Amino acid sequence: MKQFFGKEGTKNVLSSLISILIGLVVGGIVVFIVGMCTAKITPAAAWDGVRIIFAGILTTGRDAAGALTWGFNAANWGNMLFRATPLIMTGLSVAVAFKTGLFNIGAPGQYLMGTMVSLMLALGIPSDVVPPALIWIIAFLGGMLAGAVWGALPGIAKAFLNINEVLACIMTNWIAANVVTWAFDVSNFKNMVENTKSGYIYKTTYNGVATPKLGLNHIFPGSQVNAGILIAIVFAILMYILMNKTTLGYELKACGANRHSARYAGIHDKRNIVLSMAIAGALSAAGASLYFLSGNTEFFWSTYQSLPAIGFNGIPVALLALNNPIGVVFAGIFMAMLDVVGMQLTNLTAYNEYITDVIIAVIVYLSAFSLVIRMWLSGKKKKTANTAPAAKPKAEEPTADAVVAESAKGGENA
Amino acid sequence: MENAPQYVIEMNHITKEFPGIKANDDITLQLRKGEIHALLGENGAGKSTLMSVLFGLYQPEEGEIRKNGEVVTINDPNDATALGIGMVHQHFKLVDVFTVLDNIILGAEDTKAGFIQKKAARAKVTELSRRYGLKVDVDAKVEDITVGMQQRVEILKMLYRDNEILIFDEPTAVLTPQEIDELMAIMKNLAAEGKSILFISHKLNEIMTVADRVTVLRKGKYVGTVNTCDTNKQELSNMMVGRPVQLEVVKDEAKPTDVVLSVRELCVPSHLHKKDAVHNVSFDVRKGEIVCIAGIDGNGQTELIHGLTGLDKTSHGTVTLCGQEISHASVKQRGINMSHIPEDRHKHGLVLDFTLEQNMVLQRYQEPQFQNHGFIRFDAVRKYAEGLIEQYDVRSGQGPITVARSMSGGNQQKAIIAREVDRDKPLIVAVQPTRGLDVGAIEFIHSQLVQERDRGKAVLLVSLELDEVMSLSDRILVLYEGEIVGEFNPKEITVQELGLYMAGAKRAEKGGEQA
Repeated sequence: MKQFFGKEGTKNVLSSLISILIGLVVGGIVVFIVGMCTAKITPAAAWDGVRIIFAGILTTGRDAAGALTWGFNAANWGNMLFRATPLIMTGLSVAVAFKTGLFNIGAPGQYLMGTMVSLMLALGIPSDVVPPALIWIIAFLGGMLAGAVWGALPGIAKAFLNINEVLACIMTNWIAANVVTWAFDVSNFKNMVENTKSGYIYKTTYNGVATPKLGLNHIFPGSQVNAGILIAIVFAILMYILMNKTTLGYELKACGANRHSARYAGIHDKRNIVLSMAIAGALSAAGASLYFLSGNTEFFWSTYQSLPAIGFNGIPVALLALNNPIGVVFAGIFMAMLDVVGMQLTNLTAYNEYITDVIIAVIVYLSAFSLVIRMWLSGKKKKTANTAPAAKPKAEEPTADAVVAESAKGGENA
Repeated sequence: MENAPQYVIEMNHITKEFPGIKANDDITLQLRKGEIHALLGENGAGKSTLMSVLFGLYQPEEGEIRKNGEVVTINDPNDATALGIGMVHQHFKLVDVFTVLDNIILGAEDTKAGFIQKKAARAKVTELSRRYGLKVDVDAKVEDITVGMQQRVEILKMLYRDNEILIFDEPTAVLTPQEIDELMAIMKNLAAEGKSILFISHKLNEIMTVADRVTVLRKGKYVGTVNTCDTNKQELSNMMVGRPVQLEVVKDEAKPTDVVLSVRELCVPSHLHKKDAVHNVSFDVRKGEIVCIAGIDGNGQTELIHGLTGLDKTSHGTVTLCGQEISHASVKQRGINMSHIPEDRHKHGLVLDFTLEQNMVLQRYQEPQFQNHGFIRFDAVRKYAEGLIEQYDVRSGQGPITVARSMSGGNQQKAIIAREVDRDKPLIVAVQPTRGLDVGAIEFIHSQLVQERDRGKAVLLVSLELDEVMSLSDRILVLYEGEIVGEFNPKEITVQELGLYMAGAKRAEKGGEQA
């Protein structure tokens, strides 16, 4: 038991779980106080709100008497996985960059460039000539390539001109937002047919292009889930292997941890900085491709005044996962779960959708404390932590269920 | 005064524990009034911890501190200052853009209605400087004065605050031989005036010259206190290390053969100013010899080595290694025939957040024995690292998986030496390989370098330590302001004369022509 707690992996997982729990508790308190202060929310409704914060993913609705009902809500679970897909990818993007010593705050821009190129390819290639499955692959790879190029730009600025990547990333984000808006504005992909909505691009199903469901729609009926989540998980595993098992990962990490000693050892630091950012950009863009190629999502093209939140949310996902690619999968699913919980809060109680954003922000904010908690745990466990072999993958595996189980446990408590 | 039984400071039975380690275990240190008392010990012996306890930075678990026989509690550095304890840190704590006078009074300014009374301060500083023979230019900016003068400013800072107990933490590390002699004279002068001095060092020569008594620590324990007149260097180093130590480098006559490294008219631009940091430097290094580049820090050694190893671009001249011109080759290409023990082991030598085994293959991870189609062969890396750790006695908490950051400086350096020597290249470039290390580690590193020389390697050594230069090298090149000002046989030159060349006061005919 002592040895188990001494392991680095255990400490990492534990610290993330503790910070999530603190975040949920504080979120619950906020919901309760807001409920108390709002005239139209009764104490009973406030209590419902608190319970939804902890276990919203397990609510199925309200029964005839108006009480919350609990159980496995297939549509919610499916939507959670669907929403997790792009979050996992942007989370991977930020985490991989972090591991190589770079702060990729450019994920939103890379995400937008991926969106643009994927959608244009998916809608632009005539499906009567090219089979839709091939179009999907071309659009996906094209999106990734666009993201890689977009990510490489700040990388080049950093490597050759020593321009801080944060600065360059913020610039490229807004350039991307405007380029994308302009490109769609002059394109003929704007959906003018549906009169009730405006400013959207055609769904890719218009051209017959959609991510296959692979039977996931039977497990989670009524949801948008598709094979994208599996692709995201495969990417996470690939990134784990790349960063931890290969010589390339060794090089990238060496450059990130100490650029000077990497140079001293004859590693091309400049090439690796550009490469890190290109990989990060490709991952963000792949998230966008997976989201918009699903076939039933619409893209609001006039985005020159706003950046996609999914790009920025990659940062808390990566922080929560302590930059471990496998951990990112669970952190991404957790963040998507908060999304779903927010919807449940809006649907099932008198809380409006804005308070749910506040709650999510509180939880995410406190989740970023995982590093502090990790340090606290390390300080406490220092004496027992001397002979722990670094068996990282094994230690991380239980995290998976642990994060989900956490919310389940919360439900039982409530 | 010397016969008074009264100690000005007593630290009795001090024990200070950190998690998992006793940094100080029942240590007693008694400082007499007016004496120079040296504190000697290897790295990690507990010298710094003991001084931190005296300065109020740590609270000891056991033991007491007495001043003039009375028990005092020192909770923070302010208490220490109030008791008249002052310290000259190894790295000076001066404000570069302030004048000497401003630096001296900083934090102890006398004010009248909010205005600094500089006139009175100036008079006091001038008086102190005259009385103790501490020559300073009170109106010069600190950034413009020499290191030796900066140190005198630090000493004046303590005197200005009327400190009675002066702690010198490794004060000679940054000085030239002439400046060291001056400092020794100043310290003796201060002691004669009644100040009590604690002198932290691991340089035996200096301790024998200046100290009255020596307290030796080893691995956190008190070994003993001896009078310097009753002991000798060998005995002291044995006490410090705990076993007989080889103080002199044992080596046979060098038998240099073919030229391995040939440098011609090399220029390396400076990062700091527009001129060349290294100007028209030419020399050869042959198989089976140790060539040492001597000089005071900042005279172009770093740039020269960066130019040779490919970390910096050269602007003129050629570098030929094993018959191949490498003037513009990449670090990796140069690494084929060159191993490099870098000056800064934290900046260049190690990736501190990597494990020891990852650091051991820093240049070699792409060799077929350590990778298979781009996948690292972890078992091979582990085995290799374990072999090196065993062979070079690199000590660490968790063996190959120890994070490099958590290792002691000496063992970090041993790990680098192990890695670089084991790469088995014709040329070894070693830059200050023993900096900050203790006698035991220095002995090991010196013997490794001599052994490599005898195996037919060419060794290019850069050192700031004159003892090291004199004892280890077969040939000495003196670098002054980026130019080689002299080439000497260590057997035919004295330390004092070498110091004059290093300070730029003398210039050899041959060196003059080259430059």
